[in-house]
Amino acid sequence: MSAETFKDPAAQMKRALFRSLVIGAVAAVLYMFCVEPCRSSLEKARKEHEELMGQQAGMTRDLKGADQLKSRLDAVKAERQAYLNGLLEPLLESYAMRAKSLLDPLAADVGLTIGDYAELPDRRLPLPKPQAPQLYARKPIRLTCTGSYATIVSFILRVERELPLVSLEAFSLKMQKDPNSQLATIVFEWPIKGENTAAAAKGGTKK
Amino acid sequence: MKAPNLHLNLLRASERQSSSPVRLRVMLPVLAALACVGCLVWWGVLAGQLMLVKAQSASLQQDLAAKKAEHGGILNQKSDERNMQAELDQLTMYAHGRRTYGDLFRQFAEVVPEGVQLMSLEIPEPPVQMLLPPGAKPGPKVRPLLGPTNTVEGVTLRVFGRTVKETPVEALMKALEGPAFTNALVIAKDVPADQASPRIRSFQQDTSPADNGLRLLAFDIEYRCAERRFEK
Repeated sequence: MSAETFKDPAAQMKRALFRSLVIGAVAAVLYMFCVEPCRSSLEKARKEHEELMGQQAGMTRDLKGADQLKSRLDAVKAERQAYLNGLLEPLLESYAMRAKSLLDPLAADVGLTIGDYAELPDRRLPLPKPQAPQLYARKPIRLTCTGSYATIVSFILRVERELPLVSLEAFSLKMQKDPNSQLATIVFEWPIKGENTAAAAKGGTKK
Repeated sequence: MKAPNLHLNLLRASERQSSSPVRLRVMLPVLAALACVGCLVWWGVLAGQLMLVKAQSASLQQDLAAKKAEHGGILNQKSDERNMQAELDQLTMYAHGRRTYGDLFRQFAEVVPEGVQLMSLEIPEPPVQMLLPPGAKPGPKVRPLLGPTNTVEGVTLRVFGRTVKETPVEALMKALEGPAFTNALVIAKDVPADQASPRIRSFQQDTSPADNGLRLLAFDIEYRCAERRFEK
């Protein structure tokens, strides 16, 4: 094919070139306005399809593991409930009065007289990871009592045995001349319900 | 001697033809048409695939919609489990930080020698919790942390008493090193003085005389107890 063919094309060649250009233009238009948009739509549709497949796989996995999840949830609920039973709930909004209702019978059993009860400020517990919406705290209750050393110790032993979540936080025993009326100040602490961050967040959003 | 070659070109330019059997004036339109047909076929294939994928997606969406309610319940259960586990973790931290002292006090009474008069026994209240965010200064606008960053709380036992001489006090300290107290009291002697346990905070002449007129010695000994570790 010599270059002269193009320099001086015959009429047929001119027509052929024109036809080729027109058909080529149609092909280009087809590519630009049909093939390419269709190709990008297909890619998008495939991505969506893959996402849906992923969702379906996750959903199927979750549905298959429903029984295991339920048994795990029941176990966690039961374990948590054991702790919740030991929480100190306020009696008419007073933690000290609830503590009194729990401790007075134990003190009476060992022959100890408890003078007064006082609530001390809450002490917070370290945060779990991930953070729970319902947090718990430590509630110290201070009580003063009079009795013999043996009686006071018996009372502490009894409390520690009967109330397994109660912990002795502070203790002070001043010896008196009468060995049967030693003066003791005991601070017991209980776990209590603390801040509910989910409820607080809802309240904040409403405002 | 060679005769010179004579070359006569009798063809007009318009009558010239290529030596190639494939003619350009035929091939160009054919190639263009093939490209056009190729694009049409490609478009058709893509459109077919697109329809297929869309049909599959629609079927998947129907399937997902059918299982949505059941799956929603499972997601709620998962969320409940996560929250309850986190609550349980915090309650477990509390339980691990619990210490009992009843046995310590009961056994303590049994080892106090005759020559020692106990004046006071004390487990002081723990210090106030630091709930300020790191680097923050106290102020009305500073929001305290929801929980302390320190998970360990130290506990000490202070023993105040009176005696006539040092030997009963030594006997008491020796007894408190016994196996009955190892779970509750920390014995650390070969450490810097401020970390030692027991630590004799004072041992001096008692200012208040005893009833029988004897001049007594007052002592104040501090023991470190097992730390309260609020950890899972």
